[in-house]
Amino acid sequence: MKVVFLFLLLCITTVRFAQTGNIDFNSPNNIKKFADYLYCDDDYFRAAIEYERLADINRSDTIEFKIALSYSYIKDYYSAIQKFSGIINSSVYFNEAKLEEMKVNFLINDFAGLRSYFKNSFIAVVNKYQTEGEKLFNFSYLFTDDELPSKDEFLLPFDVNEEEKISSFYDWKKEPPYKKGTLAGIMSAVIPGSGKIYAGETGDGIVSFLTTTVFAFIAYDNFKAGHTTRAWIWTSVAALFYAGNVYGSVAAAQVHNAKITFEFNDGLNVYLNKKNYYITKYEFCD
Amino acid sequence: MIKIFFIIVLLFTGFVLPQTNQLKQVGDKAGWVKWEKADTRYEKPSEFRHREYSFDTENVSGFIAKSTANAYWYFISDLDGDNCPYRPSCSSFFVQASKETNIVQGTLMFFDRFTRDFNIYKRHEHYPRVKDGHYYDPVSLYTLDENQIDYIPPSVTVTK
Repeated sequence: MKVVFLFLLLCITTVRFAQTGNIDFNSPNNIKKFADYLYCDDDYFRAAIEYERLADINRSDTIEFKIALSYSYIKDYYSAIQKFSGIINSSVYFNEAKLEEMKVNFLINDFAGLRSYFKNSFIAVVNKYQTEGEKLFNFSYLFTDDELPSKDEFLLPFDVNEEEKISSFYDWKKEPPYKKGTLAGIMSAVIPGSGKIYAGETGDGIVSFLTTTVFAFIAYDNFKAGHTTRAWIWTSVAALFYAGNVYGSVAAAQVHNAKITFEFNDGLNVYLNKKNYYITKYEFCD
Repeated sequence: MIKIFFIIVLLFTGFVLPQTNQLKQVGDKAGWVKWEKADTRYEKPSEFRHREYSFDTENVSGFIAKSTANAYWYFISDLDGDNCPYRPSCSSFFVQASKETNIVQGTLMFFDRFTRDFNIYKRHEHYPRVKDGHYYDPVSLYTLDENQIDYIPPSVTVTK
């Protein structure tokens, strides 16, 4: 009987004191708490949804800015740009929003858009982060084939401690260590495989040299032995390997150039990420 | 008395909360899924056993290359096995190269690929891999059209 009583008591208290009893999860304060929790837990997608709900009820500069940031972090750049550009001049995050907008332009590789935005809008309306904006503006030249400004002008906004690194990026862009396809082709025409070695493919170059010379020697040996038909077959094989080696050397130079361009851009992205695109970290989650 | 009470509770919860509660009849089939040993296959999927022998090409270069590749597949490759370390395989590379360029350029590209196939030194540092472990070496890198080159670093696993 005692057990039955305790069991019933447990059931009653569970129902009576259930957590959901008196909490309004949809109150603005609780939505904000939940959205803040999601934001700080890096769940930006759901944070944006919750902040958007809140923005309809209780707009604030911080909420508007965090919505835009959330979209940027989840790579919904279209929505991010819309939200950042919608942040008004009187907002406490106005300057940050403009700089974030430049970052988004960077992330979508819209370098022409970034430059025109910087010249036509950023300089005129933003009264903080001018140097940061200029750094991003200059960096955009390293990602395109447009003519670079002079080195002194390019290095001007950067601090002394990063000047050396930026200078090396500039020099690379000015004179990238590309290989010439025509030269690679000519080299391989003279000495099979040498063009591939020049293009950085040493192993392929040696193999090209061996295949071409071995088949040419077999052809020569057959001619010497008087096996004319076999000799012509091997001559054809040697000629095809030779022509393939010349063609492949030109292609290898092009692939090499694509590879170093990729690695250069990758290096720039890593550097910019490390610098957080010259944007100071926000202290929303401390 | 206590025992009877617990039996009633047990029966009650048993009826109210059975796991199968949500299963519905779908057409003629019951929603039951028999829980049993899965029929797992441990074979490595290999596309080379499913050759496409048809001639779907519209140009002469593609037709010549496809005929050569078909003959090679039928008489040699299907018996010899999947030995090419690259994707597309050398014969498929030849067909694709001839279709995208012409038979002369396609042949040169093929002989270049064939030479690279001989080189077993440090391939893993040069080519990304596809999921089944083959090296990814597409035709687009070698057409001499720089705009077509989409460089993929070796550290990446290609899913296309």
